Amino acid sequence: MLRRFLRPLSIVLLALGIFLQSASAQSLEDFEQKVTEFTLDNGLKFIVIKRPVAPVVSMVSFVDVGDANDPTGHTGLAHIFEHMAFKGTHQVGTTNWEKEKPLLQKVDRTYQEWLTEKYSPEPDSAKMDTLWKRFEDLREQAGQYVKNNEFSQIIERNGGTGLNAGTSMDYTVYFYNLPENRIKLWFNLESDRFKNPVFREFYKEKEVVREERRRRVDSNPIRRLLEEFTAVAYTAHPYGRSGIGWHSDITANTIEDAREFYDTYYVPNNITMAIAGDVNPENIKQMAKKYFGDLKAAPEPPPVYTKEPDQRGERRFTIKGQSQPILLMGYHTVPESHPDFDALQLLGSILSGGRTSILYKRMVEKEQTALQVGAFNGYPGTKYESMFLTLGVPNKDVGVDTLETTILEEIEKVKNGSITQEELERARTNARANLIRSLDSNSGIARTFAQTEAQQGDWRKVFTGLQDLEKITLDDLQRVAKKYLTKENRTVGAIVNKEDSKEVANADQ
Amino acid sequence: MQINNQQFSRTLITKTIMNMKKIGAFFLLLLLVASCAETQKVTKTDYENLEYPELNDFQKPEVETFTTDNGITFYMVEDTELPLIDVRVNVRTGGVLVPNEKTGLASITGTVMRSGGTDTYPSDSLNVLLENRAASMETGIGFSSGYARMNVLQEDFDSLLPIFVDLLMNPAFPEEKVELAKKQTKSSISRRNDDPGQIAAREFEQLIYGENSVYGRTPEYATVNNISREDLVKFHDEHFNGQNMMVGVVGDFDAETMKKKLQKAFGEVPAGEKTELDFPDVGYDYQQSVNFVNKSDVNQSVVLMGHIGGLRDNPDYPKVQVMNKVLSGGFSGRILQVIRTELGLAYSPGGQFGMNSFYPGEFYVQVRTKSSTTSQVIDAVKKELKRIQQEPISQEELQDTKDQILNSVVFQYDSYDKVLGQQMSYAYRGLPSDAFEEYIEGVKATTVEDVQEMAQKYLHPNQLEILVVGNKEEIGDQLTKYGDVNTIDISIPQPGEDSQKMVEGNAQKGQELLTKMVHSVISPDTDLNTLTVKGDVTQMGRTMSTTMTVDYPDAIEQTIQAPMGTLQLSYKGGSGTMTVGGQERPLPPAMAKGLKSTLNRSFISIALNADSVNPKFVGTEDVEGTSYSKVNVSVDDTNVMLLIDPETNYPDIIRYKQFSPQQGSQVTVENRNSDWTVTEGVAYPYKQVTFISGSKSAEATYKSHKVNK
Repeated sequence: MLRRFLRPLSIVLLALGIFLQSASAQSLEDFEQKVTEFTLDNGLKFIVIKRPVAPVVSMVSFVDVGDANDPTGHTGLAHIFEHMAFKGTHQVGTTNWEKEKPLLQKVDRTYQEWLTEKYSPEPDSAKMDTLWKRFEDLREQAGQYVKNNEFSQIIERNGGTGLNAGTSMDYTVYFYNLPENRIKLWFNLESDRFKNPVFREFYKEKEVVREERRRRVDSNPIRRLLEEFTAVAYTAHPYGRSGIGWHSDITANTIEDAREFYDTYYVPNNITMAIAGDVNPENIKQMAKKYFGDLKAAPEPPPVYTKEPDQRGERRFTIKGQSQPILLMGYHTVPESHPDFDALQLLGSILSGGRTSILYKRMVEKEQTALQVGAFNGYPGTKYESMFLTLGVPNKDVGVDTLETTILEEIEKVKNGSITQEELERARTNARANLIRSLDSNSGIARTFAQTEAQQGDWRKVFTGLQDLEKITLDDLQRVAKKYLTKENRTVGAIVNKEDSKEVANADQ
Repeated sequence: MQINNQQFSRTLITKTIMNMKKIGAFFLLLLLVASCAETQKVTKTDYENLEYPELNDFQKPEVETFTTDNGITFYMVEDTELPLIDVRVNVRTGGVLVPNEKTGLASITGTVMRSGGTDTYPSDSLNVLLENRAASMETGIGFSSGYARMNVLQEDFDSLLPIFVDLLMNPAFPEEKVELAKKQTKSSISRRNDDPGQIAAREFEQLIYGENSVYGRTPEYATVNNISREDLVKFHDEHFNGQNMMVGVVGDFDAETMKKKLQKAFGEVPAGEKTELDFPDVGYDYQQSVNFVNKSDVNQSVVLMGHIGGLRDNPDYPKVQVMNKVLSGGFSGRILQVIRTELGLAYSPGGQFGMNSFYPGEFYVQVRTKSSTTSQVIDAVKKELKRIQQEPISQEELQDTKDQILNSVVFQYDSYDKVLGQQMSYAYRGLPSDAFEEYIEGVKATTVEDVQEMAQKYLHPNQLEILVVGNKEEIGDQLTKYGDVNTIDISIPQPGEDSQKMVEGNAQKGQELLTKMVHSVISPDTDLNTLTVKGDVTQMGRTMSTTMTVDYPDAIEQTIQAPMGTLQLSYKGGSGTMTVGGQERPLPPAMAKGLKSTLNRSFISIALNADSVNPKFVGTEDVEGTSYSKVNVSVDDTNVMLLIDPETNYPDIIRYKQFSPQQGSQVTVENRNSDWTVTEGVAYPYKQVTFISGSKSAEATYKSHKVNK
């Protein structure tokens, strides 16, 4: 059921032979014609990508706020807000907002009183019980006006697919797809949820978030290791904190906290919208003005002030658990905006991307010590000083120390200039191809463009970034390896099986 | 396709129900046929009232098909958006064809096809060739089909297609890559108990289909050890032929030219014989069961509840899927509504009524909740399953559910790749090409009564298999109210290697010899229940005194005076405790298992179970001047060799193999018994020497043994 009249996205690309060398420039040229971008007076940015392959459309709302922005003592707030954005508005999800609103205020006030008592030097348990009863009672009263999941249900009834959202350290993203003729529904609902958040059922949703935490982190060996790893690697910057939130912080978060967070960060100049599919850009522009034009302009949200101080020496830890061993090693590096980021990215790809990569060939195929091995730059985020991470999953009966020794040996070789021009070219070729392949769906295009625009200031960097990769030389790879992949800048963490006596021995000794 | 009217009809029906009290039935009918404009005035919120234009004109792209003489059917569709060409080959084969003792063969074959390359393009050079061009070729074999896939830049297509066909038809299967794949499979096995979700899915499948059924079994160390390079070669040769192949191509090409290229490239593929995929019947009996897997490093229970599902060709399919959607579809499904939104007990509860093409799927609801609310979740799920059986759903809920399905139909065809993939998949599964349209018609026709009828016909809320993977200490006794809790042992079976092989030998003579042994160690008039032995054990240069009481068949109390203090072991029926220095701890499962298997292989246990150990006489062996009769017996599916003295009929030597965690491999254990002493009708060797892989590892001397005391 695709459109009869196909307008190929990349007529120019049909020219054979020169594809790889100049794909990025040509794709950009091509996309320039497909993309309409505009910014509303309040600062809200729109990118519209016309792609009439099928009568469907994908929408992405990219908010430049993530868990790194959570206030101290309130980890998980960005993530809880993301959950709240599905709880409805003044119109949606309620049978009577006028009656519900004062009750929600009382619910929050009572919870805050309970918190105050709980954290007082000598908490009065009788008082706490009374407050808690009142809190639950009010919550029940407010609950009678709730229409469960109405927001999501409207979308699903209209044939919406892929409805979801995600919160990372750096950003929060909301997305779904609709049949193209229903794009107006998105304008209605999306503007409503960003203009009129209600924090309905906030406290019940915190319990859902706890279950999400138990599932994703507490019950998952590798996520437990990663959470511990960033906590050890970062001493000052919020990248070291739990993104989904520590249980005690989840307890401490209130509706008032969430509202302050919203007021500060969910402002038009901090949001980028991308719409890709079978759409008319002129219509989109008109609807954007109509539905989002009255979103109030606000000051630029505050930056994260803390910078991670230089590490003074290697950090190591071991988790003894029931699960099989896993090794993580990481080095502090640079944010995406730094010129060395590209070289580190290519280095990761040369070390572990694909079957010809250095670590894969040696550890998975030749020595057969690893079931999986990976190296990449950009954890836990890319907006601030990031980390170059290596991950090793040992084969049965192989210890994590063996993997550590091998990875360190290979890193030393890189520092001595072992990477060849062929390996570098291959990494570039595959970066280009990966990009081209990612541009085959509305949702992929919308997401990539929105994110690049928001984080790097221009969606065109999707393509010009590839041109930047062309500038990287073998010397650059050697230089960044020497500069960042040093012992004193390293954190090593591992899971070892409780029954094995081996810990992460220092492989240097 | 009329998919843009659903929203209006939904509003219409809602409205009609709301107004029912005021207007007569005749009017109601009129309203139903009223124009869309009419509905605009009478709605609750803006969102119910949005007016949408017609969906832009579109049509499903035509997939061109043709068949070659060797039996291959080709599917082609042009997509000129990106300068890429994607080729997928679908092969009629699968893990279902593999016998139990080689479980894992199919997937290892699929892996090594690619990792091993061909004689012309060995692995390393193939990898470089492909990655230099940013091309990909992958192969794999699943449970009910196999595939090979190539994705290349248009300009590389002509040069890479012959290599792709070479990989498909002539994989080299080099020995070292076979060994690597086996090693990796074993590493994965060793990690399979790390994630609670993975444990739950696997164990639930075994509950539904049976542990040893083709649908429930999993690769084990032993089954991987049984796989050889020859098995891979044979498995590949039998199924990778023209009769079993479908080839789909999507991308930037001209169909006429492409057709010729494909005919040429695949022309040499032999027709071969068509593979018959035989999917055995699932003999499922509905039953209520409560099953538990302990995982002490988690704080959340994975709860799975359900029973057998159904088949895709069931005429009820659309109605059942509507019922399924009411229960567990997206954010609107009842399970999510209740468990997550109303009760705040889980993050992503869900489920499905699985209806597979080749064999019955599973019906299940899955919820992950904190340990303390495990039974609350089970009760809430049961309640929902009963509610959908007992109460008709509202007309509004039905229409909402249908809208979800009908309004999203367009996404079924929103890329060329999906269109091609669906057509090939339907052909492979033997479904008519309009199966999807038929399903949509069925959804449209589904009524409120149908949904209730389907729930009553296909759901069995009183006969659910309940499986919980979670933290025993935190969960406590929440599960006992559902019945006897069956604790599942998920410890990974260590490779049995040859100790599990069927032994050939003389069964009659074996039985005679064993009977003589039984009578010599336990006199026929003795009714042995418990046996207490006292003595000293010397191991690693240390001598410790010990007292052990065995309460046959399955309980041990043992006290050992070890250098670090008194060690007390108490074992019964699969679990037990260990007390060191006054501190009582549960016996680690691996240790409990070890104790049990050692007990079962003791000559007294063998004597007490003489009628169920399948004795076979396999010859004689001379050891230190005595010519022993060798009788092989089978204990817990492993072989134990008894060397019986021809005069005394005592088992002077006992040999078996077991897995040594320290060595990571099979070791041979040999016990040599002497100084036999008889008390109260029971003979016991007062000297026992144990050898492991030929070296002496322990020696025991006993001072007394008591019967039934």
